[in-house]
Amino acid sequence: MADAIVAEGLSKTFNGSLKAVDTVSFSVKEGEVFGFLGPNGAGKTTTLSMLTAILGPTAGRATVDGLDVVRHPHELKQRIGLVFQESTADPDLTGRENLEMAAALFGVPLRDTARRVNELLERLALVDSADRLVKTYSGGMRRRLELAVGMIHSPRVLFLDEPTLGLDPQGRAGFWKIVSDLRKETGMTVFLTTHYLDEADTVCERVAIIDHGHIVATGTPSELKDRLGGDIVTVRPMGNLEALAPALKGLPGVTSVTVQDGTLRVKCPSGDTLIPKVVGAATDRGISLAGVSLRRPSLDEVFLEFTGREFREDEGPSATDHAVQLNRIQSARRGRR
Amino acid sequence: MNVRRWSALTKRELLKIVRNPPAIATSLMLPILYLILFGQGFNFTSSLNSLPPAQQTVELHHLLLGAPDYFSYFAAGMVGFVGVTATLFLGANVIFDKLFGTLKRTTESPATALDIFGSRIVAGSIQPVGLAFLVLGLAIVLGDVGLAGLHVTAAVTAVGVVEVVAAILLLSLMFASLFLSLGFTIEQPQTYFALVNAINLPVLLTSAALYPWGAMPGWLQGIASYNPVTLAVEVIRIALFGGTYYPYSAGVYLLGLIGWAVAMFAITTYLIGRALAPKS
Repeated sequence: MADAIVAEGLSKTFNGSLKAVDTVSFSVKEGEVFGFLGPNGAGKTTTLSMLTAILGPTAGRATVDGLDVVRHPHELKQRIGLVFQESTADPDLTGRENLEMAAALFGVPLRDTARRVNELLERLALVDSADRLVKTYSGGMRRRLELAVGMIHSPRVLFLDEPTLGLDPQGRAGFWKIVSDLRKETGMTVFLTTHYLDEADTVCERVAIIDHGHIVATGTPSELKDRLGGDIVTVRPMGNLEALAPALKGLPGVTSVTVQDGTLRVKCPSGDTLIPKVVGAATDRGISLAGVSLRRPSLDEVFLEFTGREFREDEGPSATDHAVQLNRIQSARRGRR
Repeated sequence: MNVRRWSALTKRELLKIVRNPPAIATSLMLPILYLILFGQGFNFTSSLNSLPPAQQTVELHHLLLGAPDYFSYFAAGMVGFVGVTATLFLGANVIFDKLFGTLKRTTESPATALDIFGSRIVAGSIQPVGLAFLVLGLAIVLGDVGLAGLHVTAAVTAVGVVEVVAAILLLSLMFASLFLSLGFTIEQPQTYFALVNAINLPVLLTSAALYPWGAMPGWLQGIASYNPVTLAVEVIRIALFGGTYYPYSAGVYLLGLIGWAVAMFAITTYLIGRALAPKS
């Protein structure tokens, strides 16, 4: 199967010093659902912006559907669909009017427009509200309308930038069901960014984890979880961490023990049966335990494994926020001179 | 340029105007207030009534270039005023579309910069034409209710009407281009409104929209001769009061307006093209 997206050494530096994306390389196969995961500020949206010709890369190259993103931005925009984090539908127009305008912008033939608009309104359960102004829509309806706008011209590659941000779990599940159905029918490639690791786990065929502008791991969710080597038992002793670590390493089935933020992360094939042995080992050495917890392999654990940090700990401002902040500081400095 | 994209984007802008009656009422309110409060109060030509009729006519022609009284002169000037103020909202709309994210949908589509701002210019230039004829109609009606009103003294021809419409369209196009280029390059509404006020007032006060031409000092006449608002109101005054007291025909003033509109459109195309290019 051919590659729909190829990124080679893609980098983006803002204001000459803030490196938002650093030499990122990956490829996405045609028809694949590929997730780009990372906390806020990791470089997800910046990478997506470079792939969709919104931002020019500082270094490296990328092709989408065979088109170089720097040399053919106009052709590229005709072949891709884009769903932004925020609502871009015009609140003063109806859902139908927004779709008709998008059809004209993306060159859907006039004779096909009404059919295509009705088809998408139906697929996305927006028929009853099609002729209402968008400003009266709920958050979930606006998200579905965004997806319809992104799909209006039957794109070959669909980019979704944190598309379920702010939706409740039911709304998120419904949204992904529609994306999944549409993808199966059309065979389009889907590239999505998200920081909801659970939804990436269920929706994506392959994921890349990005942190501080670097890709730290790529693979299918199962492959990445397999790399953890099974369950993870987190042990929080009340002091004497170093004394307990070698004891735990010697327990049957334990594949590794690492020290992290005052806890011991113990990997093993079956955590259920290991916990009594861990408690026993600690008791034998006179070490009291503040807590023991068991975690099944998940992408949260994968993130922790590859970055050394809890996923949620590092949520912060995005690279764009950093760039704006830096600009303000530089302007203020210039103003004082 | 893509006709379908232009018409879709123009339709969007027109729908937004039509669906915002308070904005339409506000844009009507300003010229109405000027006509009633400013125009009636400053209708100083009644003070010339004490002069002998022959001297009165000479004085009026010197001051108002053929208009029968100041209110009539002023009413034609208000059309130029409307051509500027009715396009102000275009740039502000762009800034709010940027802030609310709706501009992204068009800028990140295959639509070109010319499609995006050209359609806004077309939609934005239609409203001033409608407003201009409302202002002229109201100015005539005021004369029938016991107030000073617009007195048309020339025989208005079809060519004259076409020239008036062309003048308003060209003036609107020029200022729509100017305000749109500001809207696309400025991020904060506060900065935009401050800048627009800084442009608006000098433009109007260095034009012949409000001042009697004959009462202007020579240096101000020199500046006003090249002011696009003056060029537009001169075309309107020639159509309403005749061209006897004007050095050039309406066609020459229209050519001047075309020059202004083309220059501003070219600058806008460059600035907006740069603003909408992929960020490096």
